[in-house]
Formats: sequence, structure tokens, C-alpha cells
Amino acid sequence: MTRDSAAPEVRIRDLTVVYKTPAGELPAVSGVSLTLTPGTITGVVGESGSGKSTLALSLLNAVQPPGRIAAGSVEIDGLGDVLHLGGEDLRRTRGRKVGYVFQAAQSSLNPLKTVGKQLLDLGRSHDVADLRALVADAKALLARMGLDGARVLDSHQHELSGGMRQRVGIMLALVLNAQVVVLDEPTTALDMITQATILRIIREVHEERALTTLVITHDVGAVAEVADDLAVMYGGRVVEHGPIAEVLGTPRHPYTQGLIRAIPRLSGDISLARALPGRPPTLGTLPVVGCVFRERCDKRMEICETVEPETVTYDGRTVACHAAGRPAPVKRREYA
Amino acid sequence: MITGTAITKTFKQRGNVLGKREVPALRGVDFAIPKGGAVSFIGESGCGKTTLGRIIAGLETYDSGEIVIDGTPMSSLTHRNRQPYYRRIQLIHQDPYSALNPTRTIHQTLEAPLRLRARQTGRSKGWCDVRAEELLDLVGIDPGYVLPRYPHQLSGGMRQRVVIARALTMDPEMLVADEAVSMIDVSLRLGILGLLRDLRERLGVSVLFITHDIATARYVGDEGELYVIYRGQVVERGPTETIIADPVHPYTQSLLSAIPVLHGLERPGAEQVVPTEALDEGQTDEGCLFSRRCPFSTARCESERPVLGHDGGESGEATVQLHACFHPRRRSVIPQGVGA
Repeated sequence: MTRDSAAPEVRIRDLTVVYKTPAGELPAVSGVSLTLTPGTITGVVGESGSGKSTLALSLLNAVQPPGRIAAGSVEIDGLGDVLHLGGEDLRRTRGRKVGYVFQAAQSSLNPLKTVGKQLLDLGRSHDVADLRALVADAKALLARMGLDGARVLDSHQHELSGGMRQRVGIMLALVLNAQVVVLDEPTTALDMITQATILRIIREVHEERALTTLVITHDVGAVAEVADDLAVMYGGRVVEHGPIAEVLGTPRHPYTQGLIRAIPRLSGDISLARALPGRPPTLGTLPVVGCVFRERCDKRMEICETVEPETVTYDGRTVACHAAGRPAPVKRREYA
Repeated sequence: MITGTAITKTFKQRGNVLGKREVPALRGVDFAIPKGGAVSFIGESGCGKTTLGRIIAGLETYDSGEIVIDGTPMSSLTHRNRQPYYRRIQLIHQDPYSALNPTRTIHQTLEAPLRLRARQTGRSKGWCDVRAEELLDLVGIDPGYVLPRYPHQLSGGMRQRVVIARALTMDPEMLVADEAVSMIDVSLRLGILGLLRDLRERLGVSVLFITHDIATARYVGDEGELYVIYRGQVVERGPTETIIADPVHPYTQSLLSAIPVLHGLERPGAEQVVPTEALDEGQTDEGCLFSRRCPFSTARCESERPVLGHDGGESGEATVQLHACFHPRRRSVIPQGVGA
């Protein structure tokens, strides 16, 4: 199954996803534009309620009611606009073109069937002619990730550890040769050493297979280890996006700055670390006008109350903040 | 002051035809938690850190060993007479989403233990309301806003503060915080850690902090002590900053090596220690428990088990850093800040 090895580009444009609530339809993702460069790993970080998981589901056009994709487009090279796909076309796309590794792999595997049977189900539902070859591919992939393929395929999910399940999840997402892979919280609930192993595997498999990968997480550390680009989400918006070393080294958005300052670190002065004031917004408490971050922002200005900041791009980085318009001297030392 | 000597605990699983399976959770652990101190237990899931925390909080039995609270050995007391001792140790649960009763307002949640406390100390009922407000103030949330509300109306960070306030209703001398921040949003974690540090300083409560995330242990306060636990055994122990900056046990080093590097802010440590095998495969009970996964293992490690002690380190001087390894060596594994 050799296909065009060039990884596809993913272009999300003005995507708005709303959820129906008693208070009307509220946007979980509003007007997000994000380009995933072919062959790169893009990390999306955000806190609970930032809209990151909703954004990830939109890539599969899989937002469930009461959610609804209200506007925008998700174009993937070779597929067109995913949001215009439906029925059989959409079903075939999922898994074969776009692989998805779900958060908490233990609850996304069927507890009654062995991993091997689930693999065959996957093959049949995608009309794979040669199931033997599929099993061979799966075994090779599992071996690549340091597991005994035959043993894992004969196991039920409860016989596998968290790290092994996560690798099974990655195998199922890749075995049909998907070229775009979305990983939702791939390392949450894993131990430190297992997390490091999984992150290394994600990076290696990504490079070997020339994928375009999106990693969704709340843990800046986890993406910092694997990603090329970092997008920071807050209140349903991408507030900052750029190459990871630059975003972490010289963050421009006050939220990114605060988030980095709030990470417990192994070295450096602990008195410089500070929690962000306030709390993450929920759908109901999100301000309707003005900047969504202003309540917790230390650079808040008058204009922030009424005007939502536009996303501006300079030096290959985008940022949506009134205060970041002029390049401010960043106190780099403070984070070191 | 709470000390434990040679605590062991084995979980017996219901067996099959081949007999019962025994899982040693703790293999003779010594610990000492000074008054007003901060002690952190670090390790991977299944290492026994939570079991030890629950034993200390009086929620779990132990097979052998002795726990001494303020000079009184617990084995000398009947179950009933132990209660006043364990009242002084309160547990903060990991998950603030399930630790609070969803059908009770915060006022009701705090009132029940406060009534009990009022009876114990001979105070009036009116004291309960005053105390509830005091405690919420202490943990940094607005009593007027929180008291009439139900848990689902509060954010994770606020719920965790309520859980801490509830633990404080019993005027504890020690808080056992089991993964108290792992379910809290990143931007708010330091707030909870700062609160624990604050309570240490202001009320003199000691904190037992159980976590898999070593970096957070630094933020519970100064003069903390760190215990690295592996498969029921303490493999390294010492002042928090020393253990993080200068670990000598290969297991501690592999835990620290596994922590992601914030590229752009940090560069990785010069030496990285990666275990040769995953935790779930090939565990033996012979020799050093870590020998199968240890990249520096020798023949001696496979036949003999090292005990916790110190050898004076490479410089020859005695330190307070203890380790259980035949081949201890300092390696610089933690990321260093760029431009620092």
C-alpha cells in the first residue's frame, strides 16, 4: 500500500463550532484558522474548556450534537473540505485518511473483543482485501513500538497496561496508512517514564511515515518534547501560533506568558513561578464582546473591553492580542 | 512527628487453581515526618506511594512494622483509642470532582464535620458558621459566593480548595495530599501548591505530598524531604532540592530524565538515563528490584538487594542523602535553563 509519500497539508479556516445550551447556542470554537504544515507535528495546548478537543473532532467532521459546526472549512490535501463530506465518504475518510487516537485508550477499546478481532473489524469496515497483510502490518507496527505483536493482538484490553493500550491506539490509527493523525491527550494518565516512551514513539513514527500530526494536550511539557509548531488555545480561540522554541522562548500573548510561568519546573528559582489569576472560562462565562482573556490579563487596556483582538502574523508567528501588536521586550531571563 | 519503621504490606489477590497471587506493595519502609515539615513521596503508579499514604492516614492496615505518632506507638492502642490520633491526619483526595457530594451545598459539606468538631471541643452551634467562613477565607475563596453553591457550580481549582477546607475542619496537624494537583488545570496548579505551602507556614501543619510529578514537589515548601519509591522500597531519600539536582540512584535519574524538556527555554541534561525495559515486563524479586531495567546493572545487583543507606558520596563526606544502590553515581539529567 504505497501511496504518495508527501504528507498532506491541513487548512482550517474560520472554523466556528457552537453547542446548544439552555442559554442559546454558545461557541466552543470561534473563528479559528490554523494551518498544519505538511510533515510537521503541531501541538495544541489549552486548559479545560478551551475548545481544543472540539477542534480536533472537527478534523473528522465528528462533532456530536448538541454541538454543531456553524461555519468555516477544514481542507485536507487530496480530500477537499472535510466538512462537506457525508455518509459513506465520511466514514471511509475516518481511519483511512485521518487517523484518530482517542484520549484514554482504555475506554476506546472494546473490552469484550481481543485487539486482533477489533483490528479485523476495522479492516472489514474499510473493505481491506488482504486481511492477512493488515495483520502483518499491525504486528510490524506494534513491534516498531516495542511490543510483542502476536501477544498483543491476542489480548483483551484489560490485559494491557496503560502504555500498551496507548500504543494499540496509535497502531489502530496508523494501520490503514492514514496520513493525517490526530492524538487527543496521548500521555494523560501515563507515568513519567511511559510518557517519555510514548512521546518518543510518536516522534519516530511520525518521521518514518511522513505524517501530518496534530497533538492535543493540556500539558505544555508533553508537546514541547515532540511538536514542531505550537498553537495555544484560550476560550475557543487560537491566541498564539508559531514554531515551538520561539513560542516558548519568547511568548507574545499574555496568556502564553502566564501559562509558561505557571509550569512547575525542575530547575530555576521557584519564587518566580506564579499561578494565573482567575480561572479558565466556561461556555457560559465567556465574554461576548472584547478579548476573552482580559479578565485574567495583566496587560489589560481599555480597548480589550470592547474590541476582540485580530489575529496578526509577523515573523512567521501569529498572535491575537492588542498589547502584543508592538513587539515588547520579553523578560526571557525570568523563565530560565 | 510521625515515624514509621519497617512498614510492610502485601495485597493478596484471589487466586486461581494455581494458588493465590501475592503482590508486595511495601517492603519494609521507614519514614519520618517532622512537625510542620513537608515530605514528598515520588514514584510511578503501583509503586506503593498511595498505599503508604493511606496507611499513614489510618485508612489502610499494614502487615508488620510500627507507626509512632507523637511518641505513642499505634500498636499499643485499641482501634478506638487510635481515633484521636488519626483525626489529626487528614487526607486530601486526588479527584476534586468525585470527592464532594454532588447533592450537598458547600455549606452542608463543611457543616457536618464542623458540628462534630464543635461537640468535641464544647463549642456552640453558631461557631460552625463562623468557622466555615474562616476556613474558606483561609483557602482563598469567597465564602459568600461558595457556601450556598453545589460542587458542580465550581471550577476544579475551587473544588480542590473546598476539599482542603473540609480537611481543615478537624484542625489537623498533617495533611496527606495524594496527587492533589494532577487533575487541576495547569494555570491553577501553582495556586493549590502555594496554598499548601501557606498552610504549612501559617498553621504549622505538616504536608505529606504524594505525586508522580517530581517538579511539583519543589513547590510545597522549603526544607522538604523527598522519598523516591520503587516497587515498595524507598530507593533514594534526601532534601528535595538535593535529590532533584544531584540524584545518585539510576531509578531517580530515569524518572528525572523522562520529564519533558521545554525547548526554547531549557536544554536537556547532559546525561540521560533510559530504563532498558518497560515496567510491565520481566519483574523479578531477586537482587536489586530495579536491576532488570537498570542500564548500569552488574552481576552483584542481580543476586543481592541493596539497602537504603549512605556511603558518603564520591567526595567522601557524609551527607543526608540516602540511596539503595551498589553503584551510585551523580549524573546531570535534569534540563537546564537557557540563558540562565
